[in-house]
Amino acid sequence: MIVAAGEYICLESDKASSLYVVKSGMLVGSSKSNDCGRLINFGPGSIIGEFSLLESEPREFTLRAAEESEILVIEQEALQTTLKAKPAWIKAILNFLSSRNKIAQENQKKNNLVQAFPSLLYIFASHIKETGVDTIPLDTLCEKAQALNNTPADEVKRLLDILQELKLLKVQEKIVRAESLQIIPLLYETLKYRAIHQKISPNILSMTEQMVLSAFVKIIRENNIPLQNGLCTVSTEILKAEAKKSMHGLTLTSRTVAPLIQKNLLKTSSTFDIHSPIDNIGFFYADFDKIMDLLELNLVFPQLDKKLVM
Amino acid sequence: MITGDSRQQIVPPTRIRVKAGFVVYSPDSDKRNIVILDEGELAAVNRSGSSPKKVFTMHPGDLVGVASLLEHEPFQYNIEATQDSTITLITEECMESELKTLPVWLLAVIRNLSNKTRKLKEATHKSRSANTLKSLAEFCSHLNPKEYYPTDEILQEFRWQTKIPETVAMEDLKSLCRRKFVRFKTENEIAKVSVLSPFVLQVFVDYLKSVEKNIPWTPFQLSMDQKKMLVKISGLDQTTESDAPTWLKFFSEQGLKVSISDWICAQNFGWFSEISENLFTLDTDKIKYYLAALHFENNIKGVL
Repeated sequence: MIVAAGEYICLESDKASSLYVVKSGMLVGSSKSNDCGRLINFGPGSIIGEFSLLESEPREFTLRAAEESEILVIEQEALQTTLKAKPAWIKAILNFLSSRNKIAQENQKKNNLVQAFPSLLYIFASHIKETGVDTIPLDTLCEKAQALNNTPADEVKRLLDILQELKLLKVQEKIVRAESLQIIPLLYETLKYRAIHQKISPNILSMTEQMVLSAFVKIIRENNIPLQNGLCTVSTEILKAEAKKSMHGLTLTSRTVAPLIQKNLLKTSSTFDIHSPIDNIGFFYADFDKIMDLLELNLVFPQLDKKLVM
Repeated sequence: MITGDSRQQIVPPTRIRVKAGFVVYSPDSDKRNIVILDEGELAAVNRSGSSPKKVFTMHPGDLVGVASLLEHEPFQYNIEATQDSTITLITEECMESELKTLPVWLLAVIRNLSNKTRKLKEATHKSRSANTLKSLAEFCSHLNPKEYYPTDEILQEFRWQTKIPETVAMEDLKSLCRRKFVRFKTENEIAKVSVLSPFVLQVFVDYLKSVEKNIPWTPFQLSMDQKKMLVKISGLDQTTESDAPTWLKFFSEQGLKVSISDWICAQNFGWFSEISENLFTLDTDKIKYYLAALHFENNIKGVL
């Protein structure tokens, strides 16, 4: 088949079942879904449309002749006739190679998403720190993710969907709004700690730590205890009673609260000594928002990896 | 004179019957074969650990070893018969002889599929960033200019995000330093880095984007009269509001040659915003942006 310069051979997403082999000349391929519309040249010897030939997949590119070109069109009948004359394992190899390629494509998509995630959080977290507001324009986020890690806009939107499903942010038309000022920076720091130190971040709490903090939050909420400069206070006696109720009869001791005190999440009214009875402490106080953000983080963190590779 | 038989000789595959427990393939073996199970059952077993672990089971019609044979990709498991089985072994010679008889286009399809998969697998270990300097500039533009960060930690964080190789990232950091966008110091024997102006780094990123797309970057396309106009408006009160003729009259009174074309360009540059019909005020952010670009032109172009 001879095509004149400028002539279109096929359009992206067209139904197809044939392979093109460029015998001479030059074809130019473009795709809206791949590489932000980057043009790809196909010179003599190039083949286009393996998956259309093997599995009747739609055209991957819009193809246009950059100059007068000669193309050989191989239809599925030619493939079937050839394979009939060959041992069955040739077809099995073709099927294997095709399915392996599909798996590799899927893996690459997942890998791209996983790789783009930290830089997206970094940009949003930095923006929150720089401006002191919990929103960022979607366009700005996409533009910066593209500049930092070559992340295309559709991947940014997919990642935002995941974060939205986890209730960490909301995408409101052209604005992305974090659920709180701290949650995105906290998530970024937690992931960074895991990646760089190869161990679990101190932000990830044990079940006991989470239960103590949940009991603390429950008391504040149920009793409408007012915050003073963001801090809230609970007496040891009340905390012990609530812990016993909500922690399946667990007795709150100095040893139980020690990790939270070491992490500076709970503070005590007097000097803390792990060996002294907990009753020696008059009351506990803490940054309420910080605790809420940490509990939220601990709720979503175990789901994150699964969501990213789903 | 050609005397031999020039027809392609096909090396036939080997069909064998194996007993349960027979090791069909071992990773220690130099021989690479495609194994097709005709009857019975095979299992891929990982024997590299302290105890053997079955990885997957093969049923009649399944095959293994294609990647190993076509791409010399190591296959890491033992293939063992779990029942008495019949298998077909496609050796390298058998495969090559058969491939030689295929039409060129089918051979090209096989090669293309194989190459595409290899490239996809390689891409998972590589950075996606095509312009590593732009990536680093964007990353650094989010650092606090009042702080010195340990260089190693900053590079580690950047590389975690982008997978850019260490040497490349370090060279790019030096390039930013040569342009005077970042500075180094040593404190308690620890090398540290600080950003001079996140804003200028953002301007630099925009410049690199234009270069990448091969489109002229407007801050470096200004005429001398436009530059004079920019400098003049940068000193004005940002609340100044006037209609277009008043602005043009103002420039004329200041001895600036501002044509109608320059005025339209200035609006396209974003220096003026139209707050109501034909009433224009200054956009100080845009003016600041253009001034920074001109002020740091040599740094941005890297011609210091």
